[in-house]
Amino acid sequence: MVDVLSPTTPDQLRDAVGWALGSETPLEIIGSGSKRAFGHSVRTNAVLDCSKLSGILFYQPEELVISARAGTPLADIKAALAEKNQQFHFEPGNFPALLDGSSGPDAGTIGGLVACNLAGPRRIKVGAARDHLLGFEAVSGRAEDFKSGGRVMKNVTGFDLSKLMAGSFGTLGVMHTVTLKVMPNDETSATVIVACSDPRAAGKAMTIAMGSENEVSAAAWIAPEDAPHLDVPLAGEYGSGLVALRVEGPKPSVAWRADALCRALAGFGECHEVPESHSHSIWKVVANVAPFVASENTGSVLWRVSVPPASGGDICAQLIEKTGGRAMMDWAGGLIWLQIAASDAAGTPDAMAGTIRDIVANVGGQANLVRASDEIRQATPVFHPEDPALARINARIKENLDPKGILNPGRIAPVSLNGEGA
Amino acid sequence: MLRMPEPDQHTLARRKDIIAAMRDIIPSQGGVIVDDDQLRPYECDGLMAYRQLPMIVVLPENTAQVAAILKYCHTNKIRVVPRGAGTGLSGGALPMADAITISMMKFNRVLDIDWDNRAAVVQPGVTNLGITRAVEHKGFYYAPDPSSQIACSIGGNIAENSGGVHCLKYGLTTNNVLGVEMVTIEGEILRVGGKGLDQAGYDLLGIITGSEGLLGIVTEVTVRILRKPETARALLLGFNSSEEGGNCVAAIIAAGIIPGGLEMMDAPAIKATEEFVQAGYPLDVEALLLVELDGPQVEVDYLIDRVGKIAKDCGAVYSRISENEEERLLFWSGRKNAFPAIGRISPDYMCMDGTIPRGRLSEVLTGMQDLSKKHGLGVANVFHAGDGNLHPLIMFDANKAGDLEKAEAFGADILKLCVAVGGVLSGEHGIGVEKRDLMGEMFTTDDMKHQERIKMAFDEDQLLNPGKVFPTLHGCGELKTLHAKAVADKFPDIPRF
Repeated sequence: MVDVLSPTTPDQLRDAVGWALGSETPLEIIGSGSKRAFGHSVRTNAVLDCSKLSGILFYQPEELVISARAGTPLADIKAALAEKNQQFHFEPGNFPALLDGSSGPDAGTIGGLVACNLAGPRRIKVGAARDHLLGFEAVSGRAEDFKSGGRVMKNVTGFDLSKLMAGSFGTLGVMHTVTLKVMPNDETSATVIVACSDPRAAGKAMTIAMGSENEVSAAAWIAPEDAPHLDVPLAGEYGSGLVALRVEGPKPSVAWRADALCRALAGFGECHEVPESHSHSIWKVVANVAPFVASENTGSVLWRVSVPPASGGDICAQLIEKTGGRAMMDWAGGLIWLQIAASDAAGTPDAMAGTIRDIVANVGGQANLVRASDEIRQATPVFHPEDPALARINARIKENLDPKGILNPGRIAPVSLNGEGA
Repeated sequence: MLRMPEPDQHTLARRKDIIAAMRDIIPSQGGVIVDDDQLRPYECDGLMAYRQLPMIVVLPENTAQVAAILKYCHTNKIRVVPRGAGTGLSGGALPMADAITISMMKFNRVLDIDWDNRAAVVQPGVTNLGITRAVEHKGFYYAPDPSSQIACSIGGNIAENSGGVHCLKYGLTTNNVLGVEMVTIEGEILRVGGKGLDQAGYDLLGIITGSEGLLGIVTEVTVRILRKPETARALLLGFNSSEEGGNCVAAIIAAGIIPGGLEMMDAPAIKATEEFVQAGYPLDVEALLLVELDGPQVEVDYLIDRVGKIAKDCGAVYSRISENEEERLLFWSGRKNAFPAIGRISPDYMCMDGTIPRGRLSEVLTGMQDLSKKHGLGVANVFHAGDGNLHPLIMFDANKAGDLEKAEAFGADILKLCVAVGGVLSGEHGIGVEKRDLMGEMFTTDDMKHQERIKMAFDEDQLLNPGKVFPTLHGCGELKTLHAKAVADKFPDIPRF
């Protein structure tokens, strides 16, 4: 039987971890459990459920800061920010819907968002959750309270452990409180759409846009078959792939920059500006990776590939050719979503992973398996293999903060593939 | 007074052998410095109150030499102090009598500019401004701009996670660095991050940035470069109280405007800088805001107008807009010369670096005036108002007996006040030795031990920059021991299902 512990206070959380440490009982750590299917499955007899560590502790719009218990539903936080016309600048999409077909909008908790270091289209300009986490409080695998950072924007007091906790998948400590930077919504935004079906050409167009003076805040490419998701028929018809480029800011500036982008990219294909109302829905589609959500793509696997942005077009084309999959680019080519239908997958999952990782290795990229059956995720390393020298440092960090390996064992590296787990 | 770890006599006794070993690794002339008169320039960094001659100084020329030096030091248990340009203000590069100071200033080349990925690959001794100089001919620049940018090195910027006046809009060093090559104390060469945005495993780049030379020596840096905004204009806004000035800052941000620069100065700072550089600052206001908007011309003109209106509503009694680039630079010349301006009216000054939640500004400034009376020393304030980073400049005379101690006590009180209102000890200068003994104001022993455990993952023998950042060095054994709190098997308070 699986034992579920649901602490309601930071003290109870420490006691729960203390019990696990004392009895050497490994814990699976969850918030709402919305991203449980990401990474390797954690097989433990005890679950530490943090969803009852919930509530906004303070939100000061004029200070651009919000602090909440880690188990606070993301939907609650987003609603509070929207009320003050603010947002997380790193623009996280609905990642859980990529994993689970039954996931609702804004699923997940703020702690889970940070622990997975999620980010959406604006990452190319402003960074990811890691760049906006000002501070945290947690209990380490030693059952001791520890914290780092604070609530102010500028802080170099001690090591920046916030960066380490963001993206650590709960393997170093269980956060109970997180404090993040927020930003005002821009006065307006506009999206420039360029007809472009070839990913290599799209990559070039995005590179030119990002290198221009126009402060592009997001750049994505959608393949012809997925373009209807954006609902912007060029010349009244669908059929072409689309490059989408977003500019945000004060009205006169947005209009000026959108015009400048259209002029700069006219050579790539038909180009036009989408007004603000529609611009928002386009970037929701991109942030949520709507063409590849689990509910509409049963049985397919989804890869998330990260490469230097300017090489994205070429890598994307190679991935499509070699795997027969469908792809979409975000972060001006720096992020490629690759979906491979079960019927198209040639060879074993491991062979597929090898093919993909060989292609991205040439440019120093990473390929992580986001959605796949539990069976595939047990057989194939989900996360891109670490460089051995870095892996040694990472293993020591893990050992020093969680010496008995009780926090999410195997989440990053499955125990069966690596005796130590992580 | 500052206590550093006791010199290791065994190391000092081997000085000759160590010099010979270093000369084997760096054969070129001048690569190993051993004579007192030549060691003298390395005895302190920008925190000149503390001085110590290093045992020797080495100037390696390539990564292989750095790896060989560190491997030797690791094998022979010799302490190491990394050093960049030596402009740091917290004593992070303060030498030790038994340590080798490794100066990285021969690593001074720009290696590659990748325009398509908007990234520059440089060696760590390249100056902050040197990066901008290397890319500005194509309209690019490197955004973080500490006021020492003409001299400070990018390697040092990474060690301290340096900021500058543009942080609110463009982020700190940590948000602008993409990757590093770093050599560990074991002599292993790590490549962390790169031109892509994700890295496998834990965010080592994030933890290396701001680690003050305690985790390794950076030998190559990849940073993001940005297109220079088409134009920039600045406003000078004067207020009758710092509270009104602070309210104006809050109102600008509440209106959704994030200026490229948002600086504040109090009356003593305004007076000192105006006498020094004649920037045209008004002398009859209590607080002066310098607001810079950058971007396309059409955006800047629009926002200048909006900020002007907000300032008027907030009670600004003085308002001036830069009409050309020359005038904009003149506005900045006052702010950028604030430190030397104070140096002109006071024999010595100590620059503090706390950050506070902006809303507590007027309370903190009032508290600082009370502390000024208590300690009998003057203080002038310049302030990165947009992000709450204060730079109080404490005026004293080091030649007057007891004045330095008074200034240190005053500075410590200011930082304690910052922490008490929800702020932090350092916004951009780092802890180094200067604020080391105040770490306990912000962190519990357990907090600091967790930081030291990260240090241990890189440098178990604590050979890299010992005596910096952490007030007490816990032994490795102590850090590894589990102090599991005895928790009863049953804990009825926790809901279970």
